[in-house]
Amino acid sequence: MFLHNFKCALKTLFKNKVLLFWTFAFPIILGTLFHMAFRDIENNEILDMIDIAIVENEEWKKNQILNQVFDELEGDLFSITYGSEEKAKSLLADQKISGYLILSDTLKVVVKENGIDQTVLKYVTEEILETEEIMKHIALENPMEEESFYQNLYFMIGRIQSENKVELVDISNQNLSYTMIEFYTLIAMTCLYGGMLGLYVINQNLANQSHNGKRIAISPTPKGKVIFSSALAGYIVQLVGIALLFLYTIFVLHVDYGNDILKVVFLTLIGCFAGLSMGIMIATLFKTSENTKTGIIVAVTMLCCFLSGMMGVTMKYIIDKNIPFLNLINPASMITDGFYALYYYDTFDRYYFDLVSLLLFSGLMILLSIRSLRRQKYDSI
Amino acid sequence: MKKIIEVKNLTKEYKGLKAVNDLSFEVYSGEILGLLGPNGSGKSTTINCLLSLLKFQTGSIQIFGMNMSPTAYEIKKQIGVVFQEVAVFQELTVVQNIDYFCGLYVRDEKIRSKYVEEAIQLVGLDDFKKFYPKQLSGGLLRRLNIACGIAHKPKLIFLDEPTVAVDPQSRNHILDGIKQLRKEGATIIYTTHYMEEVEILCDRVIILDKGKIIASGTIEELKQLAKIEEKVSVEIEQLGAEKLEEMKGFKNVDDVKYVDGILVITYQKGKNNLIHFIDYLKKENLQYNKIYSERPTLNDVFLELTGKELRD
Repeated sequence: MFLHNFKCALKTLFKNKVLLFWTFAFPIILGTLFHMAFRDIENNEILDMIDIAIVENEEWKKNQILNQVFDELEGDLFSITYGSEEKAKSLLADQKISGYLILSDTLKVVVKENGIDQTVLKYVTEEILETEEIMKHIALENPMEEESFYQNLYFMIGRIQSENKVELVDISNQNLSYTMIEFYTLIAMTCLYGGMLGLYVINQNLANQSHNGKRIAISPTPKGKVIFSSALAGYIVQLVGIALLFLYTIFVLHVDYGNDILKVVFLTLIGCFAGLSMGIMIATLFKTSENTKTGIIVAVTMLCCFLSGMMGVTMKYIIDKNIPFLNLINPASMITDGFYALYYYDTFDRYYFDLVSLLLFSGLMILLSIRSLRRQKYDSI
Repeated sequence: MKKIIEVKNLTKEYKGLKAVNDLSFEVYSGEILGLLGPNGSGKSTTINCLLSLLKFQTGSIQIFGMNMSPTAYEIKKQIGVVFQEVAVFQELTVVQNIDYFCGLYVRDEKIRSKYVEEAIQLVGLDDFKKFYPKQLSGGLLRRLNIACGIAHKPKLIFLDEPTVAVDPQSRNHILDGIKQLRKEGATIIYTTHYMEEVEILCDRVIILDKGKIIASGTIEELKQLAKIEEKVSVEIEQLGAEKLEEMKGFKNVDDVKYVDGILVITYQKGKNNLIHFIDYLKKENLQYNKIYSERPTLNDVFLELTGKELRD
């Protein structure tokens, strides 16, 4: 009977177009949209090195501080070509550099268009000039030892490097970007949309929820067997959906989920279970139409994903900082954070914490449903 | 005869309303028992209590000599139910649906496949085996609903208004199918508010109103409860109050009504009432179109017992 019911549940789930759309197609469509929307932003954000030119005139050669600073920044933040002003102009016209610097009375930045590279170049130059002024002023008021002067100079360089490069270095080293958070929330959303499968199978099996449920309830097949086999079928369908999403994002969108694939899979399995159990809870606790319950699942899922950063990573940080409790009860946050922890931390404490939180959440959902699931007779149907 | 169901003092209350009120009855092997009553009289609630789907406050239910409960699987194995509402999976074909529900009772795939085929034959869905429910008409859908409920060859079948909103062709098919099931030895409880179906099918009838049994017995026994024996109806134009008063004085007349050009005279007893009445019409030179005589129906019985029509 278990296998018979399991096979039938699989058949009905795989043929239910509405469920397949939400659990299979919608995440893939959303993933594609994310990819299209964030691809350009991401490309612009990855600044390996900015190509610039410096006009090597007499003023430049005399300025020790600027020479020292740009020597330090070369090969790190900037790729610098030295030469005449004509050469710099020509390189800029050919778009081989983002801009060039020319020192006369003051240090001028010449750019042809606006962009992140040009903004960084302008910002760094302003920082250098500002600090140079301060250092000169301090030197006049209170002459320093050469060693102290250079200490201050290196401090300034270090500050420029850190202010402009901390995030960029992380990006290139670990292939991590904030758009990854979007994909984590997408996985979380797909896990939680599994709730619709849970909702469907429970609705079909409970006498107080559907006509089919009445027919099943009067059969000699024990209720537990029917519910367990149907829920298992729902879980399998959910896993197929999420596997398709992973394959699509990895091979088509080239999303990198890192090297620890087993931990990624394990987190996803638990995440799917959390989604399924949430659907079961909504199916049993609310006595309303299936469409209304589906609406509740969609709304809850989208809210959870929004709070975990789906519509803007800033939200995740706001919640982290101001209402961290929300993350403890939001399954989408637990899943997103679990993925996040796998990439950002060397230890797995946070990852395991998220896993345990998800299991507790799932357990709570099942506990809330159990009374209704065990009920054999009803006041009304 | 062997008792298949024994219900004693069954009472089901919901939100202060007694949906089933102290009901006691028996169902015997091989019979078709009709549960007749208007909408809301407690027919479906009674069935749901018998099936252990609904809680009830007092009373006992024994089926096949055993106490009925949600885990009485030995009893459930032998029961088939066709609910009022169509209960099938939209994602499965006709064959798959019947096979699934039959599979909840019958493990052996070969036997099941034979049973499914026989159920399809019984309800006449041979040409629609691979159709999905949404591709079937209302009548065909009802037939599928029946096939799903009886494919496992149950000994006791509950049919809860299986012909509601069904076209005449499908209705005849369904009624023939039910007769066939009885011929094969099944005991059937048939709920309906169509008295014609009860008269065609049922051996015994229980008439319910407001959750109570107001009458029970064979159809003939029930008809004897009516104080009228004959009803004569005439299409007649322009009949004065004087004549109506005169007719009320005829021998055996119980009541005379004249509404919208139809005169209905009900007689308590007696023979040759129609002949005497026609003689009277001729003598008085009263022109009429149609004239016919009827025996009382179950509806008349119900009307007399409750003061309202079955379909109210």
